[in-house]
Amino acid sequence: MSLIHIDGLTKHFKILNRREGLRGAFRDLFSGDYRTVEAVAGISFDIEPGEIVGYIGPNGAGKSTTIKMMTGILKPTSGVIQVNGLAPYDNRIRQAQIMGVVFGQRTQLWWDLPVIESFKILKEIYKVDQKMFDRHMDMFNELVGLKALYPQQVRTLSLGQRMLCDITASFLHNPQVVFLDEPTIGLDISVKAKIRTVIKELNQEHNTTIILTTHDLGDVEALCHRIIIIDKGRILYDGDIKRVNALFGAYRTLKLQIDKFTDSTLHELNLKLTDCYGAKHGITIAETEEFWTDVTIDQARTPLSDVLSFVMNNFPVIDVRILEISMENVVQRVYEGALG
Amino acid sequence: MRSYFPVARATYMIGLVYRFGFLFGIVGNLVYLGVAYYLWKSIYRYSDVIRGLTFNETFIYVALGSAIFILLKTYADWIIHYEIREGAIAMYLTKPIDYQIYALFANFGALLMNLSAITVPTALVMLFVFKVNFVFGPGLFLFPISLLLAFLISFSIDYFVGLIGFYSESVWGLSITKEIIVTVFSGALIPLQFFPDGIQRVLYWLPFQAIYHTPLMMLTRPNQGLDVFLAMILVQLLWAGLLFWLARLFYNQAIKVLRIAGG
Repeated sequence: MSLIHIDGLTKHFKILNRREGLRGAFRDLFSGDYRTVEAVAGISFDIEPGEIVGYIGPNGAGKSTTIKMMTGILKPTSGVIQVNGLAPYDNRIRQAQIMGVVFGQRTQLWWDLPVIESFKILKEIYKVDQKMFDRHMDMFNELVGLKALYPQQVRTLSLGQRMLCDITASFLHNPQVVFLDEPTIGLDISVKAKIRTVIKELNQEHNTTIILTTHDLGDVEALCHRIIIIDKGRILYDGDIKRVNALFGAYRTLKLQIDKFTDSTLHELNLKLTDCYGAKHGITIAETEEFWTDVTIDQARTPLSDVLSFVMNNFPVIDVRILEISMENVVQRVYEGALG
Repeated sequence: MRSYFPVARATYMIGLVYRFGFLFGIVGNLVYLGVAYYLWKSIYRYSDVIRGLTFNETFIYVALGSAIFILLKTYADWIIHYEIREGAIAMYLTKPIDYQIYALFANFGALLMNLSAITVPTALVMLFVFKVNFVFGPGLFLFPISLLLAFLISFSIDYFVGLIGFYSESVWGLSITKEIIVTVFSGALIPLQFFPDGIQRVLYWLPFQAIYHTPLMMLTRPNQGLDVFLAMILVQLLWAGLLFWLARLFYNQAIKVLRIAGG
């Protein structure tokens, strides 16, 4: 039996359209002009015990809303959602015992107290017995060297240290499933790598199911075998990561800042690139922010270095940055049928 | 229940972390006591008994009223409202705990902190500096029970106001209004005996007097019959139960706003 079963799940929000100005604010006091937003528009999937699933999509895609329904915070508008055979919102307290949650933007630790105190409180809340608690803490200590942080006040931890503690805390009661919502947000590369290792180890230790939402495709590549891409409340792709990997693994975005930039520059760039590499060059160009032009390159078809030297020779380039492909770009490519 | 005790312990420890907070609490309260002492001394200059209360009784009443006021000031309404507005409540909803009981224990920890840091020192100062005579009687022994019930009532009112955060972005005005209503109508500022008779009768039917007036009567007039005090405790018990239950109903209603409309 699957651990998480979701079928035709939807969630609608009613949002008050605020009127403009002071007069509008007064009118809003008495009459509401509501509109319905479909945050999750009918999704279905099953997750097996022990899986690490990457749940990804651009901002506002409905990721967090789904997580909140799976953890029992939000009640679905319609559809079926079961975790371990039970509906999370109807059995919140019981279900909370088998779940661990990390919201990257928020901590579950006691801000003003030393780290170890939070673990002790959670131990009581989840009724973890001393023996298991000690064993867990030893394991975490081995993994991340947590012991040094025990006497430190949570508020004085760095973001990376805090996140490691938060992840540790979410695994403390040996849950069947852990939801990690943006666990690597705002962290530098080395801390990210550490967190990925920890998540992987914890998954293997007790065969814990992990649902990971992230903006960082590196997280997904490092951890997940399966990936679910969601946008506008609908599932775009659900399956093996290898196919998607080939997609965003090969793409790079070249960010260019061009001197004396005008609208015609963009057009000229496009024309010259087509001239040089033919129509099937696998390059797309877009102006994203002021003065910056994004050139997305499929390295399988055109080497990045060629495009870079071509642009440098033909345009007055001031600054250059090379980025891995962004989440928005992957989603756009999936829409365009890249996964067939 | 056992799993909530560490929560009370944690808030107590947070109080210890902010050592200067209670230092200022003690100093502030002593200043207030000094002012109250001379104020009521001058009111009592021309008569020994006003509205059936002697100076000694009135001063104990007012001084202890301020001590209980500080004792019960655990800021539950502000904290709960903050947790709702900032979405921190999601962290509690994903844990196997009941939010109302969690909040109760968290505030109980703060209460114990206030008790050891401000109320006990104040009582000692009253005994040794102002040389106030406490009269022994059955009321004195029922006082701790009465105080605990007062805390329950006060907590439920605060919790209720905090929960309005589900509907309104700001509870600032509401919290201040609540504060004023509770302080005046409960007899925390002025003994209820000083109010006109008609208003007094109304106030006895409201829950606020059960927060301050009841425990304070046990200390200022401890020599009344045991049955009088037991009746008072019963009234407190009824209010505590009723308000706790009403707050619970309100929570169940309010949480739907979050769970249906989204956080």
